[in-house]
Amino acid sequence: MAAAAPARIVWKMATVVELVEETAHARTLVLDVPDWPGHVAGQHLDVRLTADDGYQAERSYSVASPPEDDRVALTIERIDDGEVSPYLAGELEVGDRFEVRGPIGGHFTWRAAEGGPILLVAGGSGLVPLMAMLRHRARQGSHADARLLVSARALDALLYREELMRLDDARDGLSITYTLTRDRPERWTGYARRVDAEMLEAVGPAVANMPRVFVCGPTPFVESVADHLVALGHDAAAIHTERFGPTGG
Amino acid sequence: MSTEPDATVLDANAIAGLLAEVFAGAEMTSASRACQSCGQRRAIGEHRLYRGAGLVLRCPACNDIAMIMVEGDGWREVRTAGFWSLRVPGPAAA
Amino acid sequence: MPSFSRGFHGRPRRDVDPSRVPPGQYVEDDFPVLSAGPTPRANLAEWSFAVQGAVDEAVSWTWEELNALPQETVTVDIHCVTKWSKLGTTWTGVSIDTLLENVTTEAEYVSVWADGGYTTNVPLEDLRDGKAWVAHTFDGEPLAPAHGGPARLLVPHLYFWKSAKWVRGLTLTIDDEPGFWEQAGYHNYGDPWREQRYWSD
Repeated sequence: MAAAAPARIVWKMATVVELVEETAHARTLVLDVPDWPGHVAGQHLDVRLTADDGYQAERSYSVASPPEDDRVALTIERIDDGEVSPYLAGELEVGDRFEVRGPIGGHFTWRAAEGGPILLVAGGSGLVPLMAMLRHRARQGSHADARLLVSARALDALLYREELMRLDDARDGLSITYTLTRDRPERWTGYARRVDAEMLEAVGPAVANMPRVFVCGPTPFVESVADHLVALGHDAAAIHTERFGPTGG
Repeated sequence: MSTEPDATVLDANAIAGLLAEVFAGAEMTSASRACQSCGQRRAIGEHRLYRGAGLVLRCPACNDIAMIMVEGDGWREVRTAGFWSLRVPGPAAA
Repeated sequence: MPSFSRGFHGRPRRDVDPSRVPPGQYVEDDFPVLSAGPTPRANLAEWSFAVQGAVDEAVSWTWEELNALPQETVTVDIHCVTKWSKLGTTWTGVSIDTLLENVTTEAEYVSVWADGGYTTNVPLEDLRDGKAWVAHTFDGEPLAPAHGGPARLLVPHLYFWKSAKWVRGLTLTIDDEPGFWEQAGYHNYGDPWREQRYWSD
């Protein structure tokens, strides 16, 4: 593991070049970041906003775009009484600017060259960094055994829904399983409950294949999934977790 | 002692940028630490983050203290416990 | 020089009487949860509060016994070293004066200890004469575990890290023994009005 160049920890001014409405509650910001050094799937940006009275708020957002893209994308879920997300996923317009620092992170990252098998478990907006990994995997033409288990409240809350379906159809060694915990369409035949040990075991890969596992989402989700994985026999050292806090946004 | 589940606790990934600043640009979440209490070696990124008066990182296996960081006006002070392993580039063998 | 984000306002802050706000603090309507570690799970059947150490005779109370003592309800302002202050907070509990009534000691300091391993230190004088309580009720409701329930120390005239959550006892000591945050670099005494945040202040 190489030490990051100090330039990555300097705050820079990013410009919003495009906005993409993902769902009713989530929006992707496409940014132009000066001297962007490139990133590794799973890394994040620290974002800093300054109000005109000097008040500052800082948050971290996972990079949604793969390293192969020129521009950097963040997907922000709007938390109702949040301080920052209603601004970033609401008020913000193309042409606006805010400070970013990064890319940051090294523990919760995956490069296609590392191969599989990998198990990705996403709760809500925890899907963002895992999507960067899957987009990277597709762009690299990797056929590494990869399984994604996504938990969402409902189908209309699921991020990147159409793109996930396309990735799933590619038949390149990726399988995607959904569980909808609150609302589901009438003819839904998929899982309809919180992620548990039985579901994780069914999704696989088998413990004996020693997959690397990446779990991301709200803290209670991550804690529960990680506990189930360890109980199933997965090596704790092979489980990488990233907690997004109580609401996961 | 048993504990209540805490929905607000994060992990060191949330302060990866801060740690990089403090440790002169080094990527610290993938550094590992052998715990002084339980001996388990885990990535810093897996350590649980608590925000009290200052920041506290705790061993994911046994909850013992791995780091305390205090921030004042124009300074930060870090205390570490356990054996932290950080691999950085050095000269190649001739 | 920070660069402003167009249209970002942060949360609205209301006007308050500045004489109630120590230097460097801002008023918060929420009650932020800060902690150095996981929230201990209480077992009231096994809970006790002890006064021990450099005393003639150690004494302790069970949860029932503590609640049978004279109770006080107070409204105080609290100040966290992380810069937020919360004004007009109402607490119910037992005054430390009540708990020290029959305690004979020559100690001048107190080491406060709590479930979860947290400690802090306070001069004994700062817990006497109506300045401190073991508080179990906040705003009329049982104190939530995240905020220190079943009971926390309440010492509002010092920075709130001195008001140890999940408090279980006071150990009276001859010498001052810095606690968790004091050892980590915070001020040994912690007077918000003199802005005593760090050991170097």
